[in-house]
Amino acid sequence: MLIALQNIGEHNNLFLAAVLLYLIAAVIALALTNQHKLCNLVTNSICMVAALIGITAAIIRLSTDAILAPVTILKSQIPFLLLEIKIDHLSAFFVLCLSVLALCVSIYSIGYNAHYYQKRNVGFFNFLYAAFIMSMLMVIISGNAIFFYLSWEAMSLISYFLVIFESEHEENRRAGRLYIIMTHLGTAFLLIGFMIMFAYTHSFDMFGSSELIPETAKNLMFTCFLIGFGTKAGVIPLHIWLPYAHPAAPSNVSALMSGFMIKTAIYGLIRFVLCYLQVEQLWWGAVILCIGVISAVLGVAYTLMEHNIKKLLAFCSVENIGIILIGLGVSFIAAAQNNDFLSSLALVATLLHTFNHALFKGGLFLGAGSLQYATHTKDIEKLGGLIHKMPVTAVLVLCFSLAISAIVPFNGFISEWLIYQALFLNINMGTAGLNILSILSIAALALSGALAAAAFVKLFGISFLGLPRSDHAAQAKEVPIVMNIGMGILAAFCLIIGIFPASFVKLADRVADSILGSSVAETLQPGFLSATVPLTVSGNSIAPGEVLIALTVVILVVLLMLRLFWGKYQARKYGTWDCGFESINARMQYTATGFSKPIRIVLSILYRPGRKVVIEEGESDYFPKSVKYKVWTESIFEKYLYSPVIRVLKSGSEKMIYLVQTGSVHVYLLYIFISILALMFYNRVV
Amino acid sequence: MSDMILFFIVQTGFVILAAPLVNGIIKKIKALTQKRTGAPLLQMYYDLFKLFKKTSVVSDVSSWIFRVTPYIVLATAVAAALIVPVTTLIKPVWNSGDVILLVYILALGRFFMMLAALDTGSTFGGMGASREAMISALIEPSIMVSLLTIGLIAKSTSVFEMMTFMQTVHNPLIHPVYLMIFFALVIIIMAETARIPVDDPSTHLELTMVHEAMLLEYSGRSLALMELGAAIKQLVFITLLVNLFLPHDQLLGISGITAIGISLLIYLGKVVATAVLIAIVEVSTVKLRLFSIPNLAALSFILSFIGFLQFFVFGG
Repeated sequence: MLIALQNIGEHNNLFLAAVLLYLIAAVIALALTNQHKLCNLVTNSICMVAALIGITAAIIRLSTDAILAPVTILKSQIPFLLLEIKIDHLSAFFVLCLSVLALCVSIYSIGYNAHYYQKRNVGFFNFLYAAFIMSMLMVIISGNAIFFYLSWEAMSLISYFLVIFESEHEENRRAGRLYIIMTHLGTAFLLIGFMIMFAYTHSFDMFGSSELIPETAKNLMFTCFLIGFGTKAGVIPLHIWLPYAHPAAPSNVSALMSGFMIKTAIYGLIRFVLCYLQVEQLWWGAVILCIGVISAVLGVAYTLMEHNIKKLLAFCSVENIGIILIGLGVSFIAAAQNNDFLSSLALVATLLHTFNHALFKGGLFLGAGSLQYATHTKDIEKLGGLIHKMPVTAVLVLCFSLAISAIVPFNGFISEWLIYQALFLNINMGTAGLNILSILSIAALALSGALAAAAFVKLFGISFLGLPRSDHAAQAKEVPIVMNIGMGILAAFCLIIGIFPASFVKLADRVADSILGSSVAETLQPGFLSATVPLTVSGNSIAPGEVLIALTVVILVVLLMLRLFWGKYQARKYGTWDCGFESINARMQYTATGFSKPIRIVLSILYRPGRKVVIEEGESDYFPKSVKYKVWTESIFEKYLYSPVIRVLKSGSEKMIYLVQTGSVHVYLLYIFISILALMFYNRVV
Repeated sequence: MSDMILFFIVQTGFVILAAPLVNGIIKKIKALTQKRTGAPLLQMYYDLFKLFKKTSVVSDVSSWIFRVTPYIVLATAVAAALIVPVTTLIKPVWNSGDVILLVYILALGRFFMMLAALDTGSTFGGMGASREAMISALIEPSIMVSLLTIGLIAKSTSVFEMMTFMQTVHNPLIHPVYLMIFFALVIIIMAETARIPVDDPSTHLELTMVHEAMLLEYSGRSLALMELGAAIKQLVFITLLVNLFLPHDQLLGISGITAIGISLLIYLGKVVATAVLIAIVEVSTVKLRLFSIPNLAALSFILSFIGFLQFFVFGG
């Protein structure tokens, strides 16, 4: 059926090699399914090689100037089924992002999958794992909408199987069901968008021109793409699958899903809306900005309330998608106003935050996997004191926590700073309504930054510091070194981008330059690997390297002066202050629920918290046998948006079934007759 | 080169040395209003000197986080002091004078302070950290909106540029935009420096303390560093306030070393005046209930937001 593989040019060979290697890894995984250890080692090693090739290919592609690299085409006789690979700077940037993450996750998986040995089908798991990375790679290198759609569908289905991999738990099966329904809802909207595209241009070429599409249809397409990609990205209120699917999947898969799969939606929005449709309407950007603000604030608000570590991280992904969309919204608004510089700047910020989020969120999910590996629980209320037991993991998770809270000198700060600057510039040149929207976005970004810091103080403080809250935590051991290496590379990237941002900004700038034709690199004063060369926007600059040097110098000077004038530091170990009563035990510590209680009360309109105290009476009122205290928060979107819709659908279809299926053969014959008539009529008209 | 040395000496040496004095003045005024003689003005210096000598008592539950936090808190406060110039007559020599950076550098110190509070497994620490997390989150939008509104008018987010611009504004405090932002910033300072009505620096009652609860396990040299860090942070915010809203450098009309000296003296006078003002606010108000603080934060946000809106009505 496939008749020709047409390969023009050399650049794509490396990308093809990466795809093929993932395919080989998947096949080998199935072949070695009986030898768990060998299978795991071989598959992940091949994936690592493929990822390294992907990184090389992407960097080569980003450093060449050609706007569109040569195309690889796989023709077939099925109409429209033309498997084209086209790689421009945008695709290459996302390939880089995916490959870096896939490299680290594969290294980590060598150790992490060990807990599946002799318990589960490791071969099948690795098959799905390699195929999943391959499908994500295909999504971002596909050259036409049909190929994109096929890869997208493959990515969704494979990830579904990975979500329900531990399918013996009912909650995982439920998570999978919710995930596949939501993701297909989104895909349906994408399909409508592609069909409108074909109806006007008679082509599925997503690198083609959209001039033939009238304005109304463009607006409709934008809406479809927004809902379709928004579901995958997990924007509020389409986010409900995320907090179920991410915890259900094995942690290395969650890292890929949260680190990269939801970013394919960002890729889709940039590719189809910014590149293909060419933003002309101001309201497109404004809508995206609003959605971004809502997702950022509500996402982080829900993050704070969770104490299932993976659910917490999943909500945090909603927040970061929100921040990414704030950047993208500004980029769209500026593009609609033909302000190429601001549009480029905001796009650079968006891309950089996408890349950064892949690094630290991937790392955090791997960290959650390590915690689960060592303590067999996802509940941070049962952890504590792990910094003594797992020192390396603790340092790495601390790095990621600082990075995701946008704290200097890590990478999260750089991209958020750029987004702040983009919003700031947007006020300087926007119109009245947009100014207010922009300043509110700045306030929302500040709020979400501070709440994220609170959430990650909670995550790190409760799980790694203090006294262990359960036997599992008390007996935890440091995880295998390969797992720490995988996370360590990600943490190193976070720190390097944070201190030497200019060269990474330059990579993102090449993408913005190729899409919008305006480079921000000169204004940002890039200098290769130079810490003291600052990023400058609107006459103002930061140099994270200098900040780090300043902090270090201050600490060293203080240490030196204290030593010189007041002698050596002396410390005496003693118990924590217990107010003179019995010594402190683990149950007296603050819990994660307690830690977030002030915010739960302040934002109670959002959480609608409830609590229940059950006291089992004892001999006297003062000595009850047991006291059970339960506190919960409500998910308002599930309760007030989804449940009513599901209820109406359910009761409606229950009624309809008796109206349609009467049981009488005559009626069924009538249905067939009417359908044939309708089809014939349609053929006549068209 | 001499500019650079001058800048670093003034920004770090001067600020570090002056910071404990502000606390001394506030405590003295509070004592005087209560008809007490009060501790000497320089009491905090004596305390710091004494604490530097003392042995620390460290909880056996704690980890390295607890030990490095005092240094990080002090370093971030000093780095923040480098961002906020005490006089606009010395041009900052480093590139990082950004107002967003200022907020996020202080966030680094706060992040570690909250972690250190949780590190000892003490309930007090958890309580302080949890409350601090709430207050800082509520006040953050207001900080960003108020400072960036001034940035918008000055067309830069650099603190130095903002202060230089404010020199050209004739009497900012009668201008509606700046007046709103001024009051928003006053509330922010109360919250950020753990003062009444948000927090009470002189109490150690578990119902009320926020900042002190986080420091409860610290002793000796570590405590001294934490206290000094908090004092420097307080002076940084006061500097931000007085140099933005009570600019004086353009009034001098001269330049050179003498001008810098005079400018610094006037600056000190303004700081003392602000300290007196803070003390008066502290004695004349009561500490708010913890769950009334959101209202105060909302007030601060609304003031800064109205300030922003007025910028479009009245212009800069």
